[in-house]
Amino acid sequence: MRVSDRIRVVGGRREYVRFSLSQRLQHIFMFVPFIVLVVTGFPIKFPDTAFWSHSINLFGGIDTVRTIHRVAAVVMIADFAVHVFYVFFNIVRNRTPLSGMHLLPNLQDARDIATNIRYFLFLSEERPRFHRFSYIEKFDYWAVFWGMFIMAGSGLLLWYPEASGQWFPSEVIQIAYVAHSDEALLAFLAIVIWHFYNVHFNPRVWPANKVWYRGTLSEEEMMHEHPRELEDILEQLKRGRVRRHDDDDKQDGAAGRDGDA
Amino acid sequence: MPVTTCRGALASLARGLLPALLALLPLASSLANPRLADSENCELCHGLPLLSRHDDKGRFRLYEVSAETVMHSSHKGIGCRDCHADIDAFPHPQVVQKVDCGKTCHVNRPFELTVFSHRGEVEAHAMSVHGQNPKDDPETNAAKPGCKYCHGSHRMAAPDQRVQEQAKHCANCHDGKSLEGVIQHIDRHTSHRSAENSLDIVRLCSSCHGDATLMESVNVSSTQVEGFQHHFHGKAMRRGLDGVANCADCHTSHLVLPQDDPASTLSTANIRQTCGTTGCHISPSIEFARSAIHSKPTMESNPVVYVVTWGFILLTAITMALLFSHILLDFGRWVHGRFSGGGRHESE
Repeated sequence: MRVSDRIRVVGGRREYVRFSLSQRLQHIFMFVPFIVLVVTGFPIKFPDTAFWSHSINLFGGIDTVRTIHRVAAVVMIADFAVHVFYVFFNIVRNRTPLSGMHLLPNLQDARDIATNIRYFLFLSEERPRFHRFSYIEKFDYWAVFWGMFIMAGSGLLLWYPEASGQWFPSEVIQIAYVAHSDEALLAFLAIVIWHFYNVHFNPRVWPANKVWYRGTLSEEEMMHEHPRELEDILEQLKRGRVRRHDDDDKQDGAAGRDGDA
Repeated sequence: MPVTTCRGALASLARGLLPALLALLPLASSLANPRLADSENCELCHGLPLLSRHDDKGRFRLYEVSAETVMHSSHKGIGCRDCHADIDAFPHPQVVQKVDCGKTCHVNRPFELTVFSHRGEVEAHAMSVHGQNPKDDPETNAAKPGCKYCHGSHRMAAPDQRVQEQAKHCANCHDGKSLEGVIQHIDRHTSHRSAENSLDIVRLCSSCHGDATLMESVNVSSTQVEGFQHHFHGKAMRRGLDGVANCADCHTSHLVLPQDDPASTLSTANIRQTCGTTGCHISPSIEFARSAIHSKPTMESNPVVYVVTWGFILLTAITMALLFSHILLDFGRWVHGRFSGGGRHESE
């Protein structure tokens, strides 16, 4: 792990920087269009449900809904493009080693899953001790990553179906139609059930995990959620490799310099 | 009369106009209730409510043709005998000759002054899959829609109000829920056979093509309707998008031909032009045009799309099952730790 500005002291308490301002903005520019896309896309996915009629009425008709859907799609795709560039830029600039790319799945995740299942089934009292990203968070991240390719790819094919037919066989357009609709439902369910449970409805974090806008975790939160990462940081602190910032507001991009996005 | 003041002028106008307006009243009332183009007064008998009989085969035949109904149809300016040409007596004997929609009418095409006729449509229909074909068995021929099936006869569009009016007579014997059923019955049989918009046209075609039993008896696939309703055109249409293709936009109304017939609008040679009609799709490619099929994909007809469709269903089901069980187990463990572990927090 590259030396970085991980710790800030605010009001005499240590705070651990988890997401930089840039990363938090990337999240916001992902979920705002996501909500708009769901609200403007589901009326067509479910054309007979009265509930989604409200959405069409709210926007003033199907034509407007289609336009807004495409505007939101462009914002989301742009955000994703910025994110991919951001990740590669940081990896190249910081020469991040493979071990520093904390979002890559690894063997420890498999061990954590096994530990957690044993704990769930009352076979053991030991809970997994997560590093920077738990397998739950990694799943969230890579689900969106995969979903972006499916949704943006199929969405663009459907946006320009005549042009698609000049480049691809008709089966590709038909698959795009199926994929856009089905992956949308999968993404919606994954967010509303999985992501919302983990960051809202889970009684351990209820009513919400505030890290998405604060960007930092307290020492207690770190102990509960990322104990192995905390150990790592404190270990490096002892060796004097982690810089400390007292009430430093230059937090932007701090964690981002790890290139682990 | 010399006009001296403004008030005087108004008063004199009123004195002169009032009788004139009163004299025009009968004309005004006839404008409000326009008469049918019925110079021979067929309405004398056919205007009688529920004028009807049971024919030789015991079928109930309704002969009432009210002016109000015809006034709502496109034929409101056409005399009765322009279509019912064989009637030449009053009272007339039993009519045996069916109306020929392809006959020459006594009206001219606007701007052209050529004689108007539905002959072109009738001939196109006769050539289409819906035309009577001696090679088909009688049952199939009987199931094919003629002009009147889709266009209605006198009721080109039956306003709901008229159905309600008619239902008053029904109320003499029927009441309560059964009356509602009767109204629905009349409504269905009078209004859905006249298509006024895309949804109506889809409904009209679906009244036969969505009927699996009927389609099976005449060897026609009945999956097209469901396929269309799941396709973008069908979905967007139900959400009110103007201009998406309905059945007749691609298949035409009268010259409906199978896809492998070179004359069909859906043949390989013509389909691109069909998708491009009225500026719907600009320079559509053949692969694009082929993608608009709306039959349900099956392993035989479209294996790639079929497998992908099921792949997504499985992916969604398995993923959500795993995620949901993870959530339930996690929540269950928390509940256990919270309520039977004794502590405020579960053990770490």
